[in-house]
Amino acid sequence: MNAVELHNLSKTYPGGKQAVRDVSLSLEPGEVFGFLGPNGAGKTTTVKLLNGMLTPTEGTCRVLGADPAREPEKVHAVSGVVTEHARMYDNLTGMQNLIFYAELFGLPADEAAGRAEALLREMELEEAKDRKLAAWSTGMRQRLSLARALIHGPKILFLDEPTSGLDPESAQNVNRMIREMARNSGITVFLCTHQLRYAQEICTRYGLIEEGQLLASGTLDELRAETFSRITLQIRAGSMPPGMGFRRTGALEYETSIRSEEEIPEIVRRIAAAGGDIYKVEAKQPDLEEIYFALTAPGRERLQ
Amino acid sequence: MKNAEKAIIKKDIRGITSNKRLFIPLWIVPLMMTVVLPSIFICAVHFATDDPDVMSLLELLPESARTGNVELVIAGMIFNNILPAFFLMIPIMAASIMAASAFVGEKEKYTLETLLYCPLSVKEIFRAKVLSSFLLSMFVSLVSFAVMLAVLELEAVFLMGHPLIPGVGWAIVLFLLSPAVSLIAVTLIVRNSAKAQSVEESQQSAVFLIIPVILLVVGQFAGVMLLNVWILLGLGVLCAALAWMLLQRAVRRFTYEMLLK
Repeated sequence: MNAVELHNLSKTYPGGKQAVRDVSLSLEPGEVFGFLGPNGAGKTTTVKLLNGMLTPTEGTCRVLGADPAREPEKVHAVSGVVTEHARMYDNLTGMQNLIFYAELFGLPADEAAGRAEALLREMELEEAKDRKLAAWSTGMRQRLSLARALIHGPKILFLDEPTSGLDPESAQNVNRMIREMARNSGITVFLCTHQLRYAQEICTRYGLIEEGQLLASGTLDELRAETFSRITLQIRAGSMPPGMGFRRTGALEYETSIRSEEEIPEIVRRIAAAGGDIYKVEAKQPDLEEIYFALTAPGRERLQ
Repeated sequence: MKNAEKAIIKKDIRGITSNKRLFIPLWIVPLMMTVVLPSIFICAVHFATDDPDVMSLLELLPESARTGNVELVIAGMIFNNILPAFFLMIPIMAASIMAASAFVGEKEKYTLETLLYCPLSVKEIFRAKVLSSFLLSMFVSLVSFAVMLAVLELEAVFLMGHPLIPGVGWAIVLFLLSPAVSLIAVTLIVRNSAKAQSVEESQQSAVFLIIPVILLVVGQFAGVMLLNVWILLGLGVLCAALAWMLLQRAVRRFTYEMLLK
């Protein structure tokens, strides 16, 4: 059984805005899926559809076999959600908040307290646990939200921009915690983020969405194959013999485009034979950021 | 009831009791109505029995109620006919403080979405919200009654030499009619809170639409108390049935999408 399935899923809001258009994809259990796209692309709407907060206009979706539109409680019981608009109570302490949410998910009082303690320790919030949330920083609240989403031991985690509004240090802390949690727990993670470099570090598969449409999905290699047919070969050399097809990019830097890495030995041999001194050879694969910009409209504009 | 619903009730009640700015007014008005006002009535009866207005009021009473000590008759009439109406108002006033912000208060603090991600249905969350306001209102109501009874009995014994005897109607009001009317009001206010866009809007709707209707009913209540106990009981059962029906049907068309809009 797939952890998440979307079949021709569409959502049009009452005002007529089509937020999600005919999206189909599936996630295997244990996958860490990065759902990437610019603001207003339809990422949050998709997360809300997958949790039953919104009803699809067309198509269906399933989370661990349950239809969120018909059985939202079943989906909620196995999933944890962190979104910008899912906050916690300022008049309660960190510990009281976690115990409250644990009780909502049916955990007995003593188990709830134990689990809350462990998560607060894991999120490095132990010192602040007895202070009311009103006195907490945004970064601490975000880490507590992550702890809240994990309190009932979910099988799937939906994270919608978990580092939105955080300073770089807090964002790094939250990112590190998500990465460790994804590696250690085996939970399926559906992560919506703008932080492409970070997404590339932890995600096993990606989906790129723009204006509600899924532009591409797959592993990094699959996306590379879909968007870039060539590899950039960068060479640092004392001199570059003419007629090799390289363009100069720096004092001793040269660059050309090749079809596969198998072409490299022959190119290096030819340069050396023609009297070129080679110091460094690097085949540069496009990273997620380049793929993202190649596929999405803001990226295309930026590249132009 | 699920433990998760109990957790919501506990959290909501704690939200009121830990907030002094809400908790103190919650007690001031009920205690004014049940201690200060009745004490003024009793003192007025004791010190101004011969007042022609009081005499004409006495003439309105049935023959059977006009026998014995005049002071005690008037005090008993106030105690058994007028004061019960206060116990229809007190729980509604107390509950409206919590009920008006039940959903929209959570929405304004961005905690509603988090609450909706728990494995409870909208109906169960709604029921927990209604019950938390209802239980608080009943607590305020019963404590107010206990304080009122203690103060009035002391005053009656001290000033008139005889305690006041509570009628059977009191039991019907306190344990059937008052809870039922309170539950109706709370359900309507919480339902309205789920549709409102701000706490102010919800409070205004509660004050301007629901409370006047209920108070209109309360205004006629002194007369109802003069009627047969069985009619009072029937009225209580009718209100309880209406409250139950409202609670069952109030969220029929509610969806997560509508609540978060």
